[in-house]
Amino acid sequence: MSPAIETVALRKTFGDNVAIDALDLSVERGDVFGLLGPNGAGKTTTIRMLTTLLAPDSGAARVCGFDVSAQPSEVRQRIGYVMQRVAYRGLLTGRECVEIEAALYHLPRREIPVLAEAALDAVGMLPHADRRWTTYSGGMQKRLDLACGLLHSPEVLVLDEPSLGLDVQSRHNVWEFVADRRLGGATILLATNYLDEADRLCNKVAIIDHGRVVVQGSPSELKRSVGADVVEVATREPERLRRVIETERWVKKIVIGELGDLHIFVEDAAVALPAVMRIGLEHGIGLERVTYSQPSLDDVFLLHTGRELREVAMAP
Amino acid sequence: MTVEQIEEKQSAPADSPGSGAGTRRQYAQEVLALARRWWIELLRERLNLVFSLAQPAIWLVFFGAGVERAIDTKVIGTDDYIGFMLAGIVTFTIVGNGVSGAMPLLWDKETGYLDRLMSMPIARSSVIVSRFVFQVAQQSAQILLVVLVALALGVRIATGPFGMLVILLTAALLTMSVTAAFSALAYAVPQHGTFFAVAGFVSLPLLFMSNAFVPLEAMPVWMEVVARLNPLTYAIEAMRTLVLNGWEPRVAASLAVLLFAGAICLALGTWQFRKQTGERVRG
Repeated sequence: MSPAIETVALRKTFGDNVAIDALDLSVERGDVFGLLGPNGAGKTTTIRMLTTLLAPDSGAARVCGFDVSAQPSEVRQRIGYVMQRVAYRGLLTGRECVEIEAALYHLPRREIPVLAEAALDAVGMLPHADRRWTTYSGGMQKRLDLACGLLHSPEVLVLDEPSLGLDVQSRHNVWEFVADRRLGGATILLATNYLDEADRLCNKVAIIDHGRVVVQGSPSELKRSVGADVVEVATREPERLRRVIETERWVKKIVIGELGDLHIFVEDAAVALPAVMRIGLEHGIGLERVTYSQPSLDDVFLLHTGRELREVAMAP
Repeated sequence: MTVEQIEEKQSAPADSPGSGAGTRRQYAQEVLALARRWWIELLRERLNLVFSLAQPAIWLVFFGAGVERAIDTKVIGTDDYIGFMLAGIVTFTIVGNGVSGAMPLLWDKETGYLDRLMSMPIARSSVIVSRFVFQVAQQSAQILLVVLVALALGVRIATGPFGMLVILLTAALLTMSVTAAFSALAYAVPQHGTFFAVAGFVSLPLLFMSNAFVPLEAMPVWMEVVARLNPLTYAIEAMRTLVLNGWEPRVAASLAVLLFAGAICLALGTWQFRKQTGERVRG
């Protein structure tokens, strides 16, 4: 069977701005695939091309084996798309919204009421089905969008930043929903700049930056590739500390994050921690904080781009 | 490959998935579903509903009671001022509805719901066509109401009930032009401020540069030339003839011009819509 999503040398520019540059992605059926990257990395542009909303400049993108440019209607029948922004639905009730979209997917007229209820139930919105959309909270509006996205049992569900701007409870609701859906067998493409979200939900992630795939693999593979441990040091003299320790045998790589913290990738934190402190003392470099952690996806991003995703992501 | 070719490629196949009756049924299902959305919104906006239904009738009453006394019947060519104004008021209503009717399309574009719709396996044209169907239905109710009021005020339609049907048909044809033109504008503008600025700027001159208030024969030549280029003129001429004079060949000629104008505006609307849905958001 063809992959759920496949892009080959996909490219999209807006004037001089190269949004997507030679993007190669391959998403297997049944994957929960995370598209991870800071704002402006090209996640939404990629999604807009995959959902047939934007024509690629060059290269190819296929969804379930169908080319997004040549066979858009085949693609549209197979995808469910939950936009980053909540869809504005005016004075309609939740049930009406879902029923109308069910008709737009050409579901059999007689089955629509039942299918609509099932979709609303799947996201816990059945008790609120007959209230107007305008009375819903942000989390409920998002869940209604999710219900609309899965109405026609799509082969590929595309979620663009599904938990952006939601409170903790609503975010957990969305996560549970994604985790359950996976059992249903649909492929999920999840764009996010929340690392914990990708780590928790996805079995594969591709980190993209400046419109290119920086690295892809399963979260655990990517984290293993970083090295065993990461020691983080906060100091007023990061550059000086880097110079004095970068020649040490146990240091694999050092990156200075945007807040001036030193991220030291090491084989074994048990050896590195005392050594960092000793060297700091010897050279009279004040260390404000020394911590160590198992590598996270943030470290993966940092290692490959030299930037810290959580800071880039939090920037307005 | 040019951008246009890609857009064409991107949007063209959507209009022709499969073939035959199945596709037509799907198309009808789409248009009805989208029109249902407009319909529910209209019913829930009670104030909007009441005002938009009653407005043309109220205009007619005001014109009939007030302005009539200031009008020289020799200029308008008939003693029946309300009968004369009926076509103008209907046209006035159609232009107003054209502006307000494009607003939901504008909101869908600005709030992003249009993107959601475009990611669905629906024919591109069903979005605009559903709006036409809805507008024509809503407007026919308004027009019937204003005609009833005119009848109550003593107007007699020269061509009878069948002429009434042709008046509705004429209105529907003009609606096609006006709705398509304002939809094109809604899709073309960068944001709603521009839409309202342009729509506000064109709608009154559009009416004054037609025979809505003054017959063509009474106009200075330059104005008559301008009015002759205005599709509104033909709709008014057809409707006015049907009300005041009876079946005359110029009714058919006017309808033909309206059909032509409608086709041009529809092409314009579709072109802007394609442009809008082909290439838009920056990521």
